[in-house]
Amino acid sequence: MDRRSFVRLLAAAPLAPALPEALPKLRVVTSYKPAAVPGMPGPHPGRVVAVKSEKSVDTASNAAHDDVVREMMARGLCALTGAQTAPEAWRRFFVPADVVGIKVNCGGHPYVVSSYEIVAETVRQLMALGIPPAQIFLYERFQNQLDEVNYAPHLPEGVTIVAAETANRRADNRGYDPATYVEADLFGEEDTRSNMMRLVTQKLTKIVNIPNVKDHGATGATGCLKNIAYGSFSNVARTHYRGKSHTYSFVGTLASVEPLRSRTVLQIMDGLRGVWHGGPFARTRKYVFYPKQIMFATDPVAIDRLLLDIIDDERKAHGAISIYDRSPQYLKVDDGAARDADPNVNIIIREPGHVEYAAKLGLGVADKTAIKVQTIEA
Amino acid sequence: MSLLLWLAALPCLYWTQGIETAPSLKAAGIERLCVPPERAEAWRGAGFSPVPIGEGDLAVRDLLLAPGIKARADRASATRSPWVDANGWRFLRNPAGQYVYDLPAGRAALAAAEAYAYGADAVLKIDPADVESLGRMMQFLSQLPANELPDAADLAVVDDGSAPLGEVLNLLVRRNLLVKVVKAPTAEFGINVKLGTKEYPLKEAGEPSALALKVRRQLGDEQRALRIFGSEAVIGRLTRDGSHSRLHLLNYGGRDLDGLRVHLRGTFPEGVAYVAGAGRVGLEEHTAIEGGTEFTVPRLGAYGVVDLPPVR
Repeated sequence: MDRRSFVRLLAAAPLAPALPEALPKLRVVTSYKPAAVPGMPGPHPGRVVAVKSEKSVDTASNAAHDDVVREMMARGLCALTGAQTAPEAWRRFFVPADVVGIKVNCGGHPYVVSSYEIVAETVRQLMALGIPPAQIFLYERFQNQLDEVNYAPHLPEGVTIVAAETANRRADNRGYDPATYVEADLFGEEDTRSNMMRLVTQKLTKIVNIPNVKDHGATGATGCLKNIAYGSFSNVARTHYRGKSHTYSFVGTLASVEPLRSRTVLQIMDGLRGVWHGGPFARTRKYVFYPKQIMFATDPVAIDRLLLDIIDDERKAHGAISIYDRSPQYLKVDDGAARDADPNVNIIIREPGHVEYAAKLGLGVADKTAIKVQTIEA
Repeated sequence: MSLLLWLAALPCLYWTQGIETAPSLKAAGIERLCVPPERAEAWRGAGFSPVPIGEGDLAVRDLLLAPGIKARADRASATRSPWVDANGWRFLRNPAGQYVYDLPAGRAALAAAEAYAYGADAVLKIDPADVESLGRMMQFLSQLPANELPDAADLAVVDDGSAPLGEVLNLLVRRNLLVKVVKAPTAEFGINVKLGTKEYPLKEAGEPSALALKVRRQLGDEQRALRIFGSEAVIGRLTRDGSHSRLHLLNYGGRDLDGLRVHLRGTFPEGVAYVAGAGRVGLEEHTAIEGGTEFTVPRLGAYGVVDLPPVR
């Protein structure tokens, strides 16, 4: 065994997640009160239904099979809720008067984004409940990302596809609520606020969260928590700087802010495709893999705890360092090109502990021994 | 202030091109020019108000940076904030100074606004392609209600005349820390930044951004008279007397902002904004919050002012 292999072996060994030295002071400002049963963790804390199907994606073309996805969703939702039929399952979460947001993830364009098939089926089921398309909003933070993915041809007319900002350039602020924010001075930035989208505070009554199975350079993995948190607030890129990230406490804190916490009632983890390195982006197929599963829960923490293992296991299978690795030898600060070329390069020290931190905030269950996973082969 | 004096308070376009360019200047609404002395008469004859200014006069003026942001991969910053080239600190340091901008294309309007916001005596050498945009800005500036007020400040900076102190001053202003430049420490403020003291050793001036951040944290964000949210590229100058207040907002980012949240310490009635390119606009979502007042300027191009009436 040469030294390089030995070091990699060490890196691949389970590592205890290290705590950041000091957590920043985060101040939550909101006038919204929590629901009697907040959507996160909702009525099923610590419970995850994983529906797997080999037929769900054609790995050669990267295309998903609509019929299979529909069946996976019906079986998953029924298993999660105990309902006999899909409509009955959806009725456990939504009523016709609801104004529903569907938080998609477009950052992994073109290979790993919230699937058209899952999004379309979600809309179909919501409309079947009697929710008119005018009360359904597909949302992201950046319009240019939504435009790239282009959900419109897959959705009924009348569904609104909307973003808070035209692009990630910090120029559009009116899509955010000035009275609902998390304030923190993380790296001495002048703008110390991250504001929640107005869509969430002022229009939506419920949210369905549809993230992807993705590696993330700052958080280790980006799943339910990060998609709903960083995808609903402004000015969040400020949490990473020069190899250090404050995502450990920031992700969960954002997700816990009302009304986001109470209104996010359903988590549908799109694991048809995934990216095990270079995330949240998937600009090439180099690091794309195919878990071929969809996970259902109301508890975002439980899904994300499983997600950490999915990403880490895939990385191990490729001989890459663990997402828990904090050693400086693999750190090339801000060198995105090196990171893209080599899965043993980190550009930021990752904070997979953000999932456990979110559990401490009451958002769900991170203790794997306490998470009940029901696996269904479709 | 008379109209003539008011116009004279505007920055002056230095124009060396021939009289045949008069129609384009007129079309841009520019009537006051700084020109070489030998051409002054011709410009006067063409209906302009020329200010003769020779090469020698220009040479003694302090040359300013072209305002804006730029990528500075060679310089590490203490924060994620973009690198801003701004001249406000120079104007605060030497309000009586005479200045000249030598500007690349695309910067004339912001430079004019910057000089105006600080009441600086500045001459603008511009790219001729900017005549139209400069003309629009000058029109806007000339129509702003007169409102000359003294600077608000949260802390004092003791000016030793040195270059390091200048850079510290630059970074303090850049961070929207409102400063009063003084010759000696003053009891008026709890914080007096004097380089070479135990609290502010000279070596700390080598990292001016870090030193500015240290001062900011000494002051505490909640104690700051002005906070700006929604951009890292806007610098504000807050002026006020016992009753009225005017906030100048200079956007160095090069793109229009859709919504800029402003927090002022203290209680203020609802005001009005004048925004270059948009004119008079109402402020949105005026709120009293935690000992302060907040509002949103709905749109901001290169420059805008917010006028706040007296507290009733």
